[in-house]
Amino acid sequence: MKDKELSNRGLESVPPILQNRRSFIKTITIGGAALTVGAIFPTSLTAQSSGGGKPQRSMILVDFDKCTGCRTCETVCAQFNQQKVINGEALWGLGNPYFANIRVYPFNPDADVPIVCLMCKDNPCIEACPVEPDEQGHKALYRDTKTLAIRNNKKRCIACGSCAEACREKRVGAIIPNKETNHPERMCNLCNGDPQCVKYCPYGALTHVKGGLDGRHYAVPAEKIAEELIHRWYGSAGLQRTPYKG
Amino acid sequence: MKKLHGYFGILLDVDLSTGQISHREVDPKDLQNFIGGRGLGMKLLWDLLPKPGTDPLSEKNPLLFMTGPFSGFPLPSASRTCVVTKSPITSPLKSKYPGASTVSYSNMGGFFGPEIRFAGYDGLLVRGKSDKPVYLYIDDGKVEIRDAQKFWGQRTDPFDRAFIKELGDRRFRTCYIGPAGENLVPFASIINTAARAAGRGGTGCVMGSKKLKAIAIRGSRQPDVAKHKQFLELLEKARKDFAGTTNTENWRRYGTGSALIRSSDGGSQAVKNFREGTFQHIDKIGGITARRSIWQRDFACFVCPLACKKSGVAPLEPFSGLVHDGPEYETGTMLGANLLITSMNGMQKAIYTADDLGLDIISVGNVIGFLMEAYEKRLINKKFLDGIDLTWGNVDAVLKMLSKIAFQEGVGKAAGKGVKFLAETIGKDSRKFAIHCKGHTFAAWNCHVSPGMGISYATANRGACHLNGRDVHIQNAIALTDTTGVCLFARGGYQGNLISDILETISNRGWSEEQYTIAGERVFNLEKCLNYREGFRKPDDSIPDRFFEEPLTIGPHKGAVLDRKEFEGMLNKYYQKRDWDVNTTRPTDQKLKALGLDFVLPHLDSADT
Repeated sequence: MKDKELSNRGLESVPPILQNRRSFIKTITIGGAALTVGAIFPTSLTAQSSGGGKPQRSMILVDFDKCTGCRTCETVCAQFNQQKVINGEALWGLGNPYFANIRVYPFNPDADVPIVCLMCKDNPCIEACPVEPDEQGHKALYRDTKTLAIRNNKKRCIACGSCAEACREKRVGAIIPNKETNHPERMCNLCNGDPQCVKYCPYGALTHVKGGLDGRHYAVPAEKIAEELIHRWYGSAGLQRTPYKG
Repeated sequence: MKKLHGYFGILLDVDLSTGQISHREVDPKDLQNFIGGRGLGMKLLWDLLPKPGTDPLSEKNPLLFMTGPFSGFPLPSASRTCVVTKSPITSPLKSKYPGASTVSYSNMGGFFGPEIRFAGYDGLLVRGKSDKPVYLYIDDGKVEIRDAQKFWGQRTDPFDRAFIKELGDRRFRTCYIGPAGENLVPFASIINTAARAAGRGGTGCVMGSKKLKAIAIRGSRQPDVAKHKQFLELLEKARKDFAGTTNTENWRRYGTGSALIRSSDGGSQAVKNFREGTFQHIDKIGGITARRSIWQRDFACFVCPLACKKSGVAPLEPFSGLVHDGPEYETGTMLGANLLITSMNGMQKAIYTADDLGLDIISVGNVIGFLMEAYEKRLINKKFLDGIDLTWGNVDAVLKMLSKIAFQEGVGKAAGKGVKFLAETIGKDSRKFAIHCKGHTFAAWNCHVSPGMGISYATANRGACHLNGRDVHIQNAIALTDTTGVCLFARGGYQGNLISDILETISNRGWSEEQYTIAGERVFNLEKCLNYREGFRKPDDSIPDRFFEEPLTIGPHKGAVLDRKEFEGMLNKYYQKRDWDVNTTRPTDQKLKALGLDFVLPHLDSADT
């Protein structure tokens, strides 16, 4: 992990949201030990202890200062998760970014914001799912018992779109309903615990970190993140040029 | 012939005169032989222009947005869109056709080309002319010609933002023209992401003539490949080859801006309208200074590990707070060293303004440099320039000229026609420092120190071009690269035969490395035939007298000048190596037949009569 490099950057000039994120990065990369988060983040971190054999929540963390907007993450995500069977052999796909679970949104002035499921502790998407829990306690949308990633049971899903709406309104809009079926898609599954986007990012902008968030500080829409990045990189002049809403 | 893997085999065909939208099937033989991008675009241009002399701004001239077989796959730097059309800026010395001009192709980076493939097409063909401003909306199979009246007149930077808002999804990829294209400035560019450009060759002018403000595209598809498993292995190899090399690192750190100081030191930079090759103040506007004072961020095109695009903000007055990308080598030279501008902020403002207006910076830097020299030599006065004091290094005057040209006001009308026209108008031997070939201006590389670069300019099929290549072999290799959809800057990252090996896994032509090289040669010769048919001959392959008559007076290469006889000898050798007639530059029948270009023969015969 790149904790040293990340934590060495100055925090003084960083706007509030990113400052919190920086603190978060700094703190979370200490590792699996219990964290002393301090006043900034009283409850938002839920780092897990490494013992006990219990599944740990983990997520993809984006360092926006390193992202160049090349979208390699999208293509490898789609390659891994849209495999093809060729001559009886399951192979990676060709990486059509339309099917990626991580999606990069470009802005003007130049800023690129990768958006991916944040593995929110309070999972508003599952909360919004109206399907009754089964005997395992799973609604149609539920957490994978191994990776703790969000999954959808297509057989039980009624395609109402509530989960996507909840994610869009309360978090980052990572869940996208299928164009035809309206079933929720694009929930990061962490590639069975070894996220390929992290591995292949040519710029080292992505990190797979243990822990997760309750979403209150980290989970803001791409527009909001871009606004802060542009302010930080280009000053107030950059912001004046950009109508972000809508 | 059956369908070729790696292609959809169709173009989206939009006729703006009739409003008809259809699919045009591409002959699999053409896909096979011309591959894609610049090559396939040229074959389509040949098919769509059955006769020579088409007025480039008439509804008959097609505008093609081409992709290559690499496009739409996650191969490093497979990001290019090749815009192909008949040039509105070039002209031959003699021709029986008033509308005669060369072919034009212009590659732009970004995300647009791959998205054409994601939408399910190998290219977009725009024909005809709309009678009111429109934009093209493409969402997979849903295609609409939409009203763009409210956007007409908008500059590219604000339009980029307003357009995305109108589309309602940031995942649309767009390209568009600015006021320069709308006002039919022959060297108008097509812009995407508010800075990347299909700058050269007047593609924005042709787009403007069709009253097509913009194209928005989004899609969910992808072609297949012939040998899936081998393709994945080579993809993995290509990704690894790029990682961590000093070449990759240099692109990331300085982009093309690294060449500003290097080229000045080597005497190869365009300085003072190409009078000199070294700029004594280059450190003030070079890459190192830009990195320190302006650049904040590095940006990459689609799946590119090089991130050569630099964006930043001008920190100091004047123009503080200006946010834009650059300087690159070309923009920093043509609107910097070539005009003796020493203010980094001032230069950034000029770069931003030219992009914003949709002007090709290379061309407009030439036009302004030429006028500055003519003004200094008192061949023109202030009245000619509408009162603008166009002295060397005068940023304010440059900004005024950019605006006059883009909006076609006053002196902008003549200046907008380019240096060839200006030299004819002004006369008095000003043609000696009108830096163009076939009407297309030189790029930011001087050639006093480099006859090879002179050959590149003189023999380029789109008119003067620094990316054409110095000899036959390099030209064919570059033409091949331009058919694939891969960026020329990233070409070096693909080691050995990797490009042709990957092409084999995509389409399985059963070709050797040699046969792919021949495909590059085929493309170059077809372009040549299109030009030959229009009337371009040996005398058109010439470069300005300046490079033979006025040696450099400053810098490490002081005294450097080209030898005319030697240069002519090089040109003749070049034609021989091409198997072209040394007197007329006509490709021989034998060469054309060997390249499978038999279909052009009757047309060349009638061009000779």
